Amino acid sequence: MMNRKELALNRKELAVNKLQSLGEKIIEDVNLMNVPAIKVPSRGTSNIVYDDLKRYYVLGDRYGQRSLGNVKQIKKIGQMVYMANFCKSLVETGKTATLREMYYVSEGWDIDFGDQQESNIVGEDLEVTLGISREDLGLMPEEDGASVYGDITLKDDDVEINALRMGKSGYTISPTIDEVELVDHNVQRVIAVETMGMFHRMVQENAYKKFETLIVGLKGQAARATRRFLKRVNEELGLPVYICNDGDPWGFHIAMVIISGSAKLAHVNHELATPNAKFLGVTASDIINYDLPTDPLKDIDVLRLKELYKDPRYRDDFWKVEIKKMLKIGKKAEQQSFSKYGLEYVVDTYLPEKLDAM
Amino acid sequence: MEREASELFEEFKELTASEFFRRNKQMLGFSGKIRSLTMVFHELITNSLDAAEEAGIQPEISIDLKRVDKDHYILYHMDNGPGIPEDFITKVYCTMFAGSKFRNIQSRGQQGLGCSGCVLLSQMTTGKPARVISGYKKGEKLQGVEMTFKMDVKTNKGLILDRKPAEVTSTGVAIELQFKDVSYSLSEQGAFEYIRRSMIANPHAKITFRDPTGHKYIFERATDVIPPLPKEVLPHPRGVTADDLIFMAKHTDKRRFRSLLTSSLSRMSTKRVNEIQEITKIDLNKRPKDMKWDEAERIVELFAQMDFMAPPTSGLIPIGKVQIEKGIREILEPEFVATTTRKPKTYRGGVSFVIEAGISYGGNSGRVVGEQKRAEIMRFANRVPLSFDQGSCAITEALKSIDWKRYGIRDLENAPITVFVNIVSTNVPYLSTGKQSVAPEEEILHEVRQATMKIARSLQKYINAKRAAKDEEMRSKIFETYVPVIMREAALLAGKDVPEYEHILAKVTRRPKILDEMDIDLGELADDDIVGEKDDE
Repeated sequence: MMNRKELALNRKELAVNKLQSLGEKIIEDVNLMNVPAIKVPSRGTSNIVYDDLKRYYVLGDRYGQRSLGNVKQIKKIGQMVYMANFCKSLVETGKTATLREMYYVSEGWDIDFGDQQESNIVGEDLEVTLGISREDLGLMPEEDGASVYGDITLKDDDVEINALRMGKSGYTISPTIDEVELVDHNVQRVIAVETMGMFHRMVQENAYKKFETLIVGLKGQAARATRRFLKRVNEELGLPVYICNDGDPWGFHIAMVIISGSAKLAHVNHELATPNAKFLGVTASDIINYDLPTDPLKDIDVLRLKELYKDPRYRDDFWKVEIKKMLKIGKKAEQQSFSKYGLEYVVDTYLPEKLDAM
Repeated sequence: MEREASELFEEFKELTASEFFRRNKQMLGFSGKIRSLTMVFHELITNSLDAAEEAGIQPEISIDLKRVDKDHYILYHMDNGPGIPEDFITKVYCTMFAGSKFRNIQSRGQQGLGCSGCVLLSQMTTGKPARVISGYKKGEKLQGVEMTFKMDVKTNKGLILDRKPAEVTSTGVAIELQFKDVSYSLSEQGAFEYIRRSMIANPHAKITFRDPTGHKYIFERATDVIPPLPKEVLPHPRGVTADDLIFMAKHTDKRRFRSLLTSSLSRMSTKRVNEIQEITKIDLNKRPKDMKWDEAERIVELFAQMDFMAPPTSGLIPIGKVQIEKGIREILEPEFVATTTRKPKTYRGGVSFVIEAGISYGGNSGRVVGEQKRAEIMRFANRVPLSFDQGSCAITEALKSIDWKRYGIRDLENAPITVFVNIVSTNVPYLSTGKQSVAPEEEILHEVRQATMKIARSLQKYINAKRAAKDEEMRSKIFETYVPVIMREAALLAGKDVPEYEHILAKVTRRPKILDEMDIDLGELADDDIVGEKDDE
């Protein structure tokens, strides 16, 4: 098996080749006396389809044409080509840049962007056209990923890191997680939690020992790097992934984006989705069974629950039942509401019961 | 102490016309400093134009306005008309209502007071006499005379102070007048704008004007065609009042009232006269002088109920669409101009009129207000600019009622547009004594709208074509800018040389229509699941 560095090198080579092919296609069109045009897979709603087999959203086979002969499209082609050159030099020199940095660099180009939103979109165009993720193009998200606590050893460049020896806040997943090698581990599973409050609770209650688990503090909606990390530990290390969030539609969806990916990123879900990950709770049934302190659902919660009910990602009976149940009781509960029975309750009682049931 | 009636009536003397207007100069239009000067220009210019046209001469006027002090000016006005014979000079300039009679003719002159009013104003404000040099033909011989005179308002006659022969090289009249309490202004109501507008409606004339700062404006004639003289037409029965009938009866040489009717009114046959006699039971064989007021009133009332043919239109001489266009092009130098002259119509059932309109865009069209171009409306009656009372005028009302958005003009007020409207009639229905605004007769409103909407459509076509050409140009520019850049970057990306791409550039810039528009606005792709959906298959 190739080690991570070789794999990364391989990815690098692939990215450069793909970028280069974009330029080659244009030059070839010109030489063939054709007006150059680029096929950009469509990201319209009708072209985002849920793949039953893969269990996440993928792009359909519809695409739009960006023609050099179209006054509205020519600028986009220009921006794409410019950006491709920028990414090529990033990958070749082994550097990365954030989207914001790239936006500022573009100010010096002959074809610039109106605002960062516009450059972000062209970045997505490039990802979807070339079929590789933007991390592979050297474009990194601004934000760091989640915190990880537990017995896993990683290798970032030449530095070996153990996530048990990084202090109580654990290891922070880097945006460049794809270049990090997963060297060794001594755990059975991964438990991801929505809030850092819960993360610290679990660290303090020695949950990592008790369940032989990695604890991942998501900090709300999971960053791309976090999702990439979860997918890799699941698929490369074969560790089951469990997610424990607040018992409300927003908590449900944070879990679902990890499991089945987002519609917006359908073109890179094959790199991000972890279809094997499991939602542990808090479910509507938990609220009833554990008699948790609750808040009433707000209008917007009800609206969101109804949306989720129609979403193909929630087609399982489990979800149908839980969503209906929550709508019926009209209540939601936070993870921390288990403290009603004492701070240890969640680790001593709730989690073992739920894990057993899985 | 009480005074007897006879004592009081000693002060009650018969006023001459001059004396009356001396006391009521606002009735001549002389109210306000700016307006007074504009009215002086108006009287002198229309007089000169009328005189030259009547003599078959292409009018040429030269005006010099010198500022002496604040609100104090000396005006020199010279024309190339036939001149005024020596004996008539004081009559023209010092006698009010000279030669006024009942005439149903299209004319510029509005008050019949004309030049004498200007002399009166000069005398009232400065006490200075008027000076006139006239060159005129006596037989085949060219004669010249210079005269200095005042107006004797008590007798409504001229008072000659000096009279001497003058060397002249051609016919024409030059007059020098001084004014106080007047002011020269560049505003829409001012004298300069009056000249400019006169030139648009009278493209056959030439005016040279030196303004108080010494700047000389030369308004060249845009055409050599002198308009034909309007013919006098008999008034239509629907267009006369009881007073008009009595006036005609007093001044006729006919011996019977019935023959007065058939000879003084149009569309009036013997058959009609018999009908009138039958219905009113008035003896129409009596002498015209014996016609009583209430009888005249009854006859006029009957006119309103009878069916008459529409009045003859032979007396109407419009400027003509070609001539209006020439006038506008000369003065406004617009990008685009469209003009139209409508067919004659009648209002109040008996008065015929013609509406002419022009619209010009760009160039010097519109008024500059601050930094912005504003639309301007130029109103005319029988070629004479109407400078005042714009708000109450039928022309303004009709133009404002048009839905300009339909013609691609989003905001009429703020468009670089001049709209020209001229009403031609033997009897323009003015709203007030100042004769500066046209009454909102339904037929007139309708005609102004129709005329203007027609030319507005032409303007719309022009604006659209211009916009399309501009878009096309921008399109080409985009390609010319982006294609070389893309070629350079694509070559860099591919690691190859920049290819020969002239053929591609030629191909894309000459393409007339964008065929496969893929107008997906990815800027709206912000939300998680909401994505625009317009891609091509």
